[in-house]
Amino acid sequence: MKRMFRRVCLGMVVLAVVAGSAAGSFAQETPRMGGVLKVASIGEPPTLDIAMSTATLVYEIMWHVNESLFTYDKAFNPVPLLAESWTLTDKGLRYTINLRKGVKFHNGKEMTSADVVPSLKRWGRVASVGRVLWKYVESVDAKDPYTVIISMKQPSSSLIYGLSEPHASIYPRESIEAAGEGQLKEFIGTGPFRFVEHRPDRHIKLARFKEYSARSEPANGFGGKRTAYFDEILFLTVPETAVRLAGVETGEYHHAMFIKQDSYERIKSVPTLESRIVKPRGWAVAVMNHKSPLMSQTKLRQAFQAALDMEPILVAGFGSRDFYRLDPGVFFPEQPWHSTASAKLYNQHDKDKARRLLKEGGYAGQTIRWVTTREYEFMYKNALVAKQQLEEVGMTIDMQVVDWATLNNRTEKPDLWEVFSTGFVFSADPANHVAFRCTFNGWWCNPEKERLLAELQGENDLKKRKAIIDRIQTVFYEDVGSVKLGDYFTLDVARRDLRGDFRTAPRLYFWNSWLAK
Amino acid sequence: MQTYLLHRVLAVLPVMLVVATVTFVLIHLAPGDPASIIAGPDATPENVARLRHQLGLDEPLPAQLFRWYGRLLRGDLGDSIFLRRPVTEAIVERLEPTLLLTSWATLIAVLIGVPAGIVSARYHNTAVDQSFMGLALIGLSIPNFLLGLLMILVFGVWLRWLPVAGYVSLDGGLWPNARSLLMPSVSLGLVQSALIARITRSSMLDVLREQYILASRAKGLAERAVVYKHALKNAIIPTLTVIGITFAILVGGAVVIETVFNIPGLGRLIISAVLRRDYPVIQGVVLIIAVTYTLINLAVDLVYLTLDPRIRYR
Repeated sequence: MKRMFRRVCLGMVVLAVVAGSAAGSFAQETPRMGGVLKVASIGEPPTLDIAMSTATLVYEIMWHVNESLFTYDKAFNPVPLLAESWTLTDKGLRYTINLRKGVKFHNGKEMTSADVVPSLKRWGRVASVGRVLWKYVESVDAKDPYTVIISMKQPSSSLIYGLSEPHASIYPRESIEAAGEGQLKEFIGTGPFRFVEHRPDRHIKLARFKEYSARSEPANGFGGKRTAYFDEILFLTVPETAVRLAGVETGEYHHAMFIKQDSYERIKSVPTLESRIVKPRGWAVAVMNHKSPLMSQTKLRQAFQAALDMEPILVAGFGSRDFYRLDPGVFFPEQPWHSTASAKLYNQHDKDKARRLLKEGGYAGQTIRWVTTREYEFMYKNALVAKQQLEEVGMTIDMQVVDWATLNNRTEKPDLWEVFSTGFVFSADPANHVAFRCTFNGWWCNPEKERLLAELQGENDLKKRKAIIDRIQTVFYEDVGSVKLGDYFTLDVARRDLRGDFRTAPRLYFWNSWLAK
Repeated sequence: MQTYLLHRVLAVLPVMLVVATVTFVLIHLAPGDPASIIAGPDATPENVARLRHQLGLDEPLPAQLFRWYGRLLRGDLGDSIFLRRPVTEAIVERLEPTLLLTSWATLIAVLIGVPAGIVSARYHNTAVDQSFMGLALIGLSIPNFLLGLLMILVFGVWLRWLPVAGYVSLDGGLWPNARSLLMPSVSLGLVQSALIARITRSSMLDVLREQYILASRAKGLAERAVVYKHALKNAIIPTLTVIGITFAILVGGAVVIETVFNIPGLGRLIISAVLRRDYPVIQGVVLIIAVTYTLINLAVDLVYLTLDPRIRYR
């Protein structure tokens, strides 16, 4: 689907150029070096220290600067990046990671295991995913300057996925020492672009790193050869969505993140613009509070799940069918882990069943507090339609609309809410999806699910892993861990003169892209 | 005169203390905190707690408040949690765009508003008056962000005369700087000019009905002299108050226009600080805005002194 979309886009570019020029030849365009890429981003990232934050914006900017040992290929399988190769021995208890030689940091120093070991230790100490995975790790040691050994307490298939995330980036040892327990004070990495400056509410400036050591394999997803064609990249802070679009239209920016989906038709009508649908971005979800007296009752959660008719909920949130998809999978159809297990429990819109379940559960009209936000408009609109549907079967919903910061804070406290809105973004590692995490607000700690997750951690055979994931998804639907509303896609806009493979959904990057003249 | 000034300046201090305390208490009462924003949406609770501890946010509130007072006395507004720099530095950096924008907008508002008000009053109840006041009514009713977006569409996207958004600082040259501020200052200024026009008109009308105006007309003074020399000087006092308040509002309140036109000013600073719960920045900016208000009020009062001798001798 993704490839088809790209072909369609390419086809449109070809058409536009053929129509626009007499020469009309565009078959083999050679990438052009140079130019300043201007990207209109939605706001200020909360930090530039990737390990500190799970916010997407942070790494979509900084992974041009910092690189990790592994990354993902087109199919979202881990592949080496700063690592040369790796082996797993001792029944999954010993990872031997060989590092690439001659890789330079932006300060001119060569990257060795003396930098990798403290970087990984810091990741295990401060990053959210790192901390989760570190409990499986016994030790991490440098065997020689180009070899790192990770010894495990017990096997974890998630580790290599974790090491493929930008949060597990490698920094010079000195940067880590200078940061102590706090945030990084300098941003030095091995990436194709180096960090130049951050002027809050204006821009973040990156510049090409001339001594970048690229991999030799052809580009594949985020992996393979990375080339910095631009002299500089400016990430400009443009909070107003209409202005982001207008700026790309007039040529002040080349690319803008998060355009309102209802601008899609308009973008199609402007020949210099190209819309890019970020597919998949995430799935909209109503998270259940398993610690609240009400929602800890399985029947009530099942009634909630049975009552909802997802189509109108998604239409309200995302408008056109180009931007949502009805799909039961906890993982996206674009991923190898996609499953249709228990699909019949998704999008049931069975009011009678819902009423029956409510009755069996002894529900007597108690108020269900649903916390949502307008900061992400779709969350509010989803909740608005869902509330109506739930009230039709006899539930009492108190919708509490707060700002995003308040929502995050309130949902940490189990006695303040029953349901909250959020979106679960793309996750490559099946064993560590937020929807399954017992510690995530909502506290879904079903013993059967926990047992299956542990089994998944110890399993490296793809087929067997897929079978376990099917079973986890079944538990997710039968026990109603949370209620999936549907997949959603977001809209970015770019100028047509921005060329190259600059997006592999769902994460944005600008190496291997260039500006045509 | 000097005691008056001293008295007024000293009166600023208790105001500051109240503002400081109320701001501190209010924002700490609001739910949400910077630690969970930094840690991101999928962060584990332990991670958020660790960050909270690092940032000193788990200390009791009174302790945090007194630490902040202590710093304030030394003229230190603290460090921003997100910007990794002192609040004072962040504010100084944002002052240039905000002050320029505010000055331009006020200038435009005065240049349009005052003459429009005078002319309307002079040609009271004629077609001129009615059309000016009709326009002013429209001006007052249009939200400035809508005007801003419309101007972006017309002058930025269709005609391509001006950049759609963004700010070029004075270092980038006077003309590029003025160009980048033109649309935002017009959209702010036009709306304010409507207010100024209406105030000027009504106070002019009051004055024009005074007996001394009748007397000056009776002694055969030219109408121009009556209006501009005798009437305007007395009628301008309420207008001056409005201009002063307008300026003060714009310094801290051009939030929406700064967001629409992507200008990195004080308004943007405070709005992003509020959304991220960057406590030191919110406290600092609110304090600075309060000081500005008080000082502008003081300045306006001093101008009254020169315009109206009665106040001087009281």
